[in-house]
Amino acid sequence: MQEKDKTRRKVLIGLTSAVGLSGIPFAATPFIAAWNPSAKAKAAGAPVKLDVSKMQFGQQIQVSWRKQPVFIVRHTEESIANLELGVTKLADPNSDQIEEPYKGLNPSRSKSPEYSVFSGVCTHLGCAPKYFPEVEPKPWDATWNGGFFCPCHGSMFDIVGRVFKGVPAPTNLIVPPHMFEGSILTIGEDKEL
Amino acid sequence: MSTGNIKKVLFKPFLFILFLIPLFSVFIGAAEGGPCKDYGECDDFKYSLNDFESLQRGAATYINYCYGCHSLKYSRWGRVAKDLKIPEDIFFENLVFDKSIKPGDLMIGSMPAEESAKWFGVAPPDLTLVSRYKGDDWIYSYLRAYYEDSSKQYGVNNLVYPGTAMPNVLLALQGNQRLVCKDVPIIARNGGQKRDENGITITEEKCGFLEVENGTGKLSKEEFDSLIYDLTNFLVYVGEPAKATRERIGWYVVFYFLIFTALSSLLYREFHKDYNKH
Amino acid sequence: MTEIAGKLFTWINTRLPIANTFERHLSKHPVPSKVNFWYLFGALAAVTLIIQIVTGIWLIMPYSNTEEQAFSSIEYIMRDVDYGWVIRYMHTTGASLFFAVVYLHMFRGLLYGSYQKPKELVWIFGCTIYLAMMAEGFLGYVLPYGQMSYWGAQVIISLFGAIPYIGESLELWVRGDYYISGITVSRFFALHVVALPLVLIALVFLHLVALHEVGAGNPEGVDIEEHLDDDGVPLDSVPFFPYKVLNALVAIGVFMTVFSIIMFFFPEGGGYFIEMANFQEANPLVTPDHIAPVWYYAPFYTMLRAIPDPLGGLIVMAAAVAIFFIVPWLDRSNVASIRYKGIYSKIAITMFGVSFLTLGYLGTVGVTEVRKTMSVICTVMYFAYFLLMPIYTKYETTKEVPDRL
Repeated sequence: MQEKDKTRRKVLIGLTSAVGLSGIPFAATPFIAAWNPSAKAKAAGAPVKLDVSKMQFGQQIQVSWRKQPVFIVRHTEESIANLELGVTKLADPNSDQIEEPYKGLNPSRSKSPEYSVFSGVCTHLGCAPKYFPEVEPKPWDATWNGGFFCPCHGSMFDIVGRVFKGVPAPTNLIVPPHMFEGSILTIGEDKEL
Repeated sequence: MSTGNIKKVLFKPFLFILFLIPLFSVFIGAAEGGPCKDYGECDDFKYSLNDFESLQRGAATYINYCYGCHSLKYSRWGRVAKDLKIPEDIFFENLVFDKSIKPGDLMIGSMPAEESAKWFGVAPPDLTLVSRYKGDDWIYSYLRAYYEDSSKQYGVNNLVYPGTAMPNVLLALQGNQRLVCKDVPIIARNGGQKRDENGITITEEKCGFLEVENGTGKLSKEEFDSLIYDLTNFLVYVGEPAKATRERIGWYVVFYFLIFTALSSLLYREFHKDYNKH
Repeated sequence: MTEIAGKLFTWINTRLPIANTFERHLSKHPVPSKVNFWYLFGALAAVTLIIQIVTGIWLIMPYSNTEEQAFSSIEYIMRDVDYGWVIRYMHTTGASLFFAVVYLHMFRGLLYGSYQKPKELVWIFGCTIYLAMMAEGFLGYVLPYGQMSYWGAQVIISLFGAIPYIGESLELWVRGDYYISGITVSRFFALHVVALPLVLIALVFLHLVALHEVGAGNPEGVDIEEHLDDDGVPLDSVPFFPYKVLNALVAIGVFMTVFSIIMFFFPEGGGYFIEMANFQEANPLVTPDHIAPVWYYAPFYTMLRAIPDPLGGLIVMAAAVAIFFIVPWLDRSNVASIRYKGIYSKIAITMFGVSFLTLGYLGTVGVTEVRKTMSVICTVMYFAYFLLMPIYTKYETTKEVPDRL
């Protein structure tokens, strides 16, 4: 075979393979994209709206957003003021180790100074921590200042969801995007973000 | 001439005649009644899914005049707004009357099926896929083929769908359409108009023409036809929301495979040169 | 890097015969050097089978096999799943083109005698594949649970009812209910996605193993094994890889162009690939005006309708498919290819082609008196091709087959 033919053959092999291979990502796109959440899943995971003005001070409620519990706590002025007392117990008081959407905005970690909004899924292994607002000695902490205690593995969080030092949970409870329009709280959407 | 040649000469016409048989069957198939019944041939409809203004007008007409009875239960509100390029806040402000509806909700309609079955005798069907099982030509003809018929429950009948259970919801826009008789020229065998010896066209009276009584409708004939065009266009969209995307992507894919075919055939020919060596 | 890859290859190759298999079945597998386009449909059928399996797996994920959800889950795929419409149209287009390609592949077999000794088993495995495909296609068409799914299945299942004595109970047993319900759909689903694909893959494997044992044919009907070079390689052959692979690549390019034109611009195929009535959910109380099978069953459906007696119709329809299996023993000709067969064979195969196409057309339209007569004539022509084959192939004058390709 002549040298010229060999080159032609190589160029054609190269071109055909290049065109053939370049089609693979496009052919794969529908199959990969089909695994994204469908419009139905997205509709079911749409933002949740609720009126929080009826909540009592110190009350904690749980709503479901994307089938995950989200805790809402309405704080008293006293309990917000008390937050400072427990800072030494906390592992990450300023939420430096996680993506915090409203960092430094309010002590409550939310967009409102009065309410806290955070995920009710323990950052350790996914159990739901329980709310113990009373300031009194507890079996798991003699100087309990009020907060969340996880019954599964004993992780502790303060009333705005910040994790204690020396517990299994590695980080603070996650704050989802949310917004307040008057007393209407929307979880899962923030038009300013 | 050798026997082989004779056979060939005889064989070719024989083949030709044999292959006429399927064609013949197609010909005898043409006599069947069309889907538009008494209307005759359905009017031809050409969708334009990239004409967003038409689709938006169609959506507005649908929601104002049809959605009260006919749901679009496989379609989602937000998807319609997005695909038709209507800003979500304007869409929800003007076209969504139930304020509790969220963008991801299905357009399941506002009328309980049993209730409506009581009113119309049958429950009004869901129309998400109507353009797919009836065809756009049919819808476009049907909605324009209502005529006055006092023997019917709602005082109207339809040429495309005789005895339809649906009243003419768009009557106020279209006006009173009636079946009339007209003098029409007789068409001669050669396709021209028949004339008498003085050269005057011979006419005969034919019936079954649709005509709108002047001044009874809010819209002119052209305006009404364009309203129905938009509405049908919207139904084509809602029957298959991905249709415009499909046809757009299609060009690229076909182009890709043409290039691939060209290259691989060059490569094949290059290797084909080796054949002689074996 | 190359060194490590080389070592890894040697490690695997000493445990798994990769190089050996590659040589035996690809790079040193001899195939006739001169064939025409008819010999490319087998490769295309393989490509389509792969497309069907991959898209099928992806469709199982969002599909719901219940009576309430089956229909709406198809619309869910078409609307709510990202690119779901691509996957679904690929599967529906693939189904129709699978049959188109297989019909052409089978017709090639009849044209060039690809069933003759020693290829009988290749042919029989092929016919079995076709049979399994017919079942697979039917079961798949029921899954969307539209009006055509329902009424098509109704007609086919009633065929079992035509069997004497056990018919009615058999019908009930197949449905598992008094109508074609969610129970029927879910058992059809299991058969469509697991049982029959397994059977198909096994049969395709056997088809190929048998083919590689006896070697591929050619349009001349020449036995290339008669003339070997010093290494025992047939003189009129080329190695499968790269020559035939490249040839197949061109065919795949053309095929995929046609595939994408249909899939992106005419996915319903004018009502022949996806019937319009199937966009309406199954309604056991309302029969559609016009029940037509999908185009690939249409010829057999016409035969069924041509016979007034249901049992007779069923027998004729079954025989029309079954008769393919015995073709190797019906052909008594001393040549394989139509090129060297006599005039009667040429007339017969033309008549067969014409009758098959006409039967196909008649199956998709309504019945009239003329059409009924035509379908009877065509059914007779169809069977005449097979049943008279032992006579016309034996007594006609054939041309001499050349020595070499």
